[in-house]
Amino acid sequence: MATTDMIRFENVKKIYTGLDAKSKDIVALHNVNLSIKKGEFVFVLGHSGAGKSTFLKLILREEAATEGKVFVNGRDLSSIRQREIPYLRRGLGVVFQDFRLIPTMTAYENVAFAMRVTNIPERQIKRRVPYVLNLVGLAGKAHSLPQELSGGEQQRIALARALVHSPPIIIADEPTGNIDPELSVEIMELLQAINSVGTTVVVVTHERELAARFRKRTIMIDHGEVVDDGLGRYGREAAQV
Amino acid sequence: MKWSSFKYLVKQGWHSMVANRLMTLASIGVLVACLMITGVAALLSVNVTSYVDYLETLNEIVFFIDDAAPAETVEALKTQIPADGNVAACEYVPKAAAVEEMREYLGDYGDIMNDYAGEGNTENPLPASFRVSVTDVADLAPTVERIKAMGAYTATAEDGTASDANVFYKVNSPSELSSTLVNLKRIVNYIGWGLVAVLGVVSVVVISNTIRLTVFARRKEINIMKFVGATNAFIRLPFFVEGMTVGAISGVLATVVVGGAYYGLEQALLQPEALWLNEFTKCMWPFMDIIWPLLGGFVLFGVAIGGVGCASSIRKHLKV
Repeated sequence: MATTDMIRFENVKKIYTGLDAKSKDIVALHNVNLSIKKGEFVFVLGHSGAGKSTFLKLILREEAATEGKVFVNGRDLSSIRQREIPYLRRGLGVVFQDFRLIPTMTAYENVAFAMRVTNIPERQIKRRVPYVLNLVGLAGKAHSLPQELSGGEQQRIALARALVHSPPIIIADEPTGNIDPELSVEIMELLQAINSVGTTVVVVTHERELAARFRKRTIMIDHGEVVDDGLGRYGREAAQV
Repeated sequence: MKWSSFKYLVKQGWHSMVANRLMTLASIGVLVACLMITGVAALLSVNVTSYVDYLETLNEIVFFIDDAAPAETVEALKTQIPADGNVAACEYVPKAAAVEEMREYLGDYGDIMNDYAGEGNTENPLPASFRVSVTDVADLAPTVERIKAMGAYTATAEDGTASDANVFYKVNSPSELSSTLVNLKRIVNYIGWGLVAVLGVVSVVVISNTIRLTVFARRKEINIMKFVGATNAFIRLPFFVEGMTVGAISGVLATVVVGGAYYGLEQALLQPEALWLNEFTKCMWPFMDIIWPLLGGFVLFGVAIGGVGCASSIRKHLKV
């Protein structure tokens, strides 16, 4: 694996085995080869059921590849031990479509929570959390509960939580799926700003327009295979719309 | 794990107990009920066993001594019988003492024994005897056989012929009563501790289901923890704290209820109206002797069930 590769898939195949003899096996990904370099901004594009979620699950080591190898941040995930997975995930900032904020915690607490669960001292948490909340422009809403915030603001809190460990990779799963179009642009601009300081950003989405608008590298997945990689036809077509 | 993190997790566990107070109260209620039934079964078993043990001590085997038995053999038996492993007590009752006992037993008619009283009275028809009580009633028959064997000697007739004889010409042994007591004790123990075991398993199942509901309600939180890089131990700890605290609180509450009821029963049995139960009352374990083992047992049992319940409930949600 080249030193600059943050994510690399080598001949990856993922099959979900049927639960019983009658159920069929499902091939979610087939012969996937790709690499994402340090500091890159990449869209992973595909319609529902194309294999995007499996792609994400393999990176987060929620699932293991059936064949081939997945490397993330220099680690070979095919040989990683179960107890090492939490440490792998600390190097990945993840943002979900449904924000996944804890409703009983304030914005500050939600961000601090990610630090507390990784054994970081309270002193450091008190310094770092206001800083990242300020980065996402929500310093003034630190004591608000998630339900008191708009969708865009909740996503920014989720982004602040993903950034709090200064991970080298940010993975955003449909980050604009649950928010208004204007706010989507704000989130994407925030992700670009994060990328501009050297963080690798992977945005998984089904929105072609989004990929087209930002003119970044786009990996198109269809029926479990990479059908396009680069500023390819999907990005271009959408850009012409 | 850092001390500050540990403190945070313990606080989280307690905080969650308060936040989910309805579920916490339900868990405590279920656990207290299970512990109470388990405790009552255990107390019943130990007290019935104690009463049966007392009844066992009332067992007495009487070995009647043949008047023709050699004095030196009888003398030797006074040291041989108490040396037997299952003999709890052994009393030698000489012929004269047997007459005195009979006189006492006959009360106003005791005078009819006057002709037979006195040491060395050759008219005395009552035999001397050994009165033996045993430690383990279950071993009564073999003990009787062993003591009878001790009494064997060789008798020489006037014409000089030798024959086998025994110091004891008769043995009164309550073998039927003893086997009934042994069976009763066994049944009480089987039922009592069987109930404790069954209720223990029921408690684990009920409490782990209750905790499972708590864990299910917080599955989103667990999922988030997994994705931000929390280790399984870190995720489990607040649930363990919660389960074990619920267990400890339930243990204390169950002790208060069962201990209080036991104290009340003890006081009631000491009243004059309950004098007819005196035989049982004096065998009952005193309140002060049972309260601390009860508290310790309940709290340990509660904490263990809380811990085991948590471990079994959370495992599924950690596979992310």
